[in-house]
Amino acid sequence: MSDLIVEATGLEKTYPVRRGEPVHAVRGVDLDVRAGEVFGLLGPNGAGKTTTVRMLATLTAPTAGSARVAGHDLLREPRRVRERIGYVSQAGGVDETVSGRENVVLAARLHGLSAREAARRAAELLEVFALTDVADRPARTLSGGQRRRFALAIGLAHRPELIFLDEPTTGLDPRNRAAFWQEIRGLRDGGTAVLLTTHYLDEADALADRLAIVDHGRVVAAGTPGELKRRVSGDVITLRVPAADAEPASRLLAAQPYVREVGGDGGGLRAYVGDGDSALPALLRAIEEGGLRVEAISLRRATLDDVFLRQTGRSLRDAA
Amino acid sequence: MIKDVRLLFAHEVRGSLRNPFWLLFGVVQPVLWLVLFAPLLDGLMPGGSALRDFTPGALVLIALSSGLSVGYGMLARLRAGVLERLAAGPVSRAALVLAPALRDMVVLVGQAALLLGLAALMGMRANPLGVALTLVLVAALGLLSATLSYALALTARDENGLAQLNATLYVPMLLLTGIILPMALAPGWLQAIAAANPLYHAVEAGRALFAGDFRDGSIPLALALTTGLALLTLRWAITSVRRLAA
Ligand SMILES: Nc1ncnc2c1ncn2[C@@H]1O[C@H](COP(=O)(O)OP(=O)(O)OP(=O)(O)O)[C@@H](O)[C@H]1O
Ligand SMILES: [Mg+2]
Repeated sequence: MSDLIVEATGLEKTYPVRRGEPVHAVRGVDLDVRAGEVFGLLGPNGAGKTTTVRMLATLTAPTAGSARVAGHDLLREPRRVRERIGYVSQAGGVDETVSGRENVVLAARLHGLSAREAARRAAELLEVFALTDVADRPARTLSGGQRRRFALAIGLAHRPELIFLDEPTTGLDPRNRAAFWQEIRGLRDGGTAVLLTTHYLDEADALADRLAIVDHGRVVAAGTPGELKRRVSGDVITLRVPAADAEPASRLLAAQPYVREVGGDGGGLRAYVGDGDSALPALLRAIEEGGLRVEAISLRRATLDDVFLRQTGRSLRDAA
Repeated sequence: MIKDVRLLFAHEVRGSLRNPFWLLFGVVQPVLWLVLFAPLLDGLMPGGSALRDFTPGALVLIALSSGLSVGYGMLARLRAGVLERLAAGPVSRAALVLAPALRDMVVLVGQAALLLGLAALMGMRANPLGVALTLVLVAALGLLSATLSYALALTARDENGLAQLNATLYVPMLLLTGIILPMALAPGWLQAIAAANPLYHAVEAGRALFAGDFRDGSIPLALALTTGLALLTLRWAITSVRRLAA
């Protein structure tokens, strides 16, 4: 058996639209998620993250492509797939008519646990997520953060091998977000594979063992956060120059041997360099010799945003 | 599948018991009809049978008004992502509508019993076996109206759309049952349309049953028609859930 828990090739999804062009939400996505890792799908709004996850969770049929999820063919054996996965949607899926605990117990029982096992499992999960105190309140009265944690507990009720989390931390305050990250790492350490979507750079960077950056329904880059950032090259020097000097400055930067790549415009020229600490003084000297004016200059390590920027020409911050 | 229905049915009942207020609310409207309208009929049709003839109509009214509103609950569940979350698990698709529909049937029969108690207090006397059989018919009507509401809700997927569909359905259903005035007063073409309304036959059958007139042809007709249609709407509702998670 392979150690891949998700193996998707050429996934596509086209939504027909009444009176209009069909929407190509996903245009050929290949994904490999290993058993027991946290895999991130990072991309701006409308990139196709939710659609990809919904296809992998058997909720919508792909227009083209195929996938094996948790050891079973997505199209031929959807039921087997459903038995092995957990799915927490952007909406959460907590039933507000009953208590949080009843939600978790029902989810466990529908997956075949006995009443006693389900009760024990629910108590265990509620303890882990610090929900015991609010477990028997009507779910209607829970705060957003509590509801998110209940959603996660519901998704984990049957100890799935793989859990899909669609934007799990949207709407959480920083403290809850940090706690949530800790819980996700705990899941991975317990052997559960996690496929999560996010449009937060820091989240993908901090949490994902590996990730795929998606844009307009395509994977534009994939690898570990470290690999991806190295591929952009180590550091980024950003310069602000008067609009008139943007052209010559850009040419000058590109001519330096230690500059691997140049991007951006006068408002923010970016020079990608291997070792920023030694490149910066050299660059300053070259600028002076070239007689160009620089209004501001800064040096920073490459982020995933630089990866996105290089692949798409846009910043994830602007795109999202 | 039976196990899923059992689990989900218990879940639905727990949810309803947490908000029992809404269950009572469903009978308010028919009670008002019974208290405020039936006495008017008394003046129109002297002889004391007005209340007995009107009560089956009031029962059908609850089936219609409380049944058609259950779709909103399904839409709330759809919005909250509950249906989708359940559908990502191995649960039977049919159970996702059958369980709440069974709960709705039970609620409806309970509401009907409450209304019958009130009618009895108001002096209605009816054939006991006939009343029991009418409750069976009410249960079938409950399945019909609840599954119809679920199918409409899951097809429209929009609260406003559902409200308009309900309003459009409600008026002809109400007028063409002979609940308010006997259809015998209607011109031939109107009677012909009423004959196509399953609720019309249900009211006729209820009246015959209450009067102890067990040989009336409307009884088997109403039972067969209601059950048959309920199975069709149930199928439609199940198909709509399947489409939700293709
Ligand atoms: N049922 C649908 N019918 C038509 N278009 C759809 C449907 N669902 C999604 N889309 C479109 O497909 C594209 C991808 O949507 P998707 O929800 O997968 O994006 P996303 O990456 O999850 O975005 P977000 O970060 O906003 O959640 C969008 O353009 C969206 O409008
Ligand atoms: Mg999304």
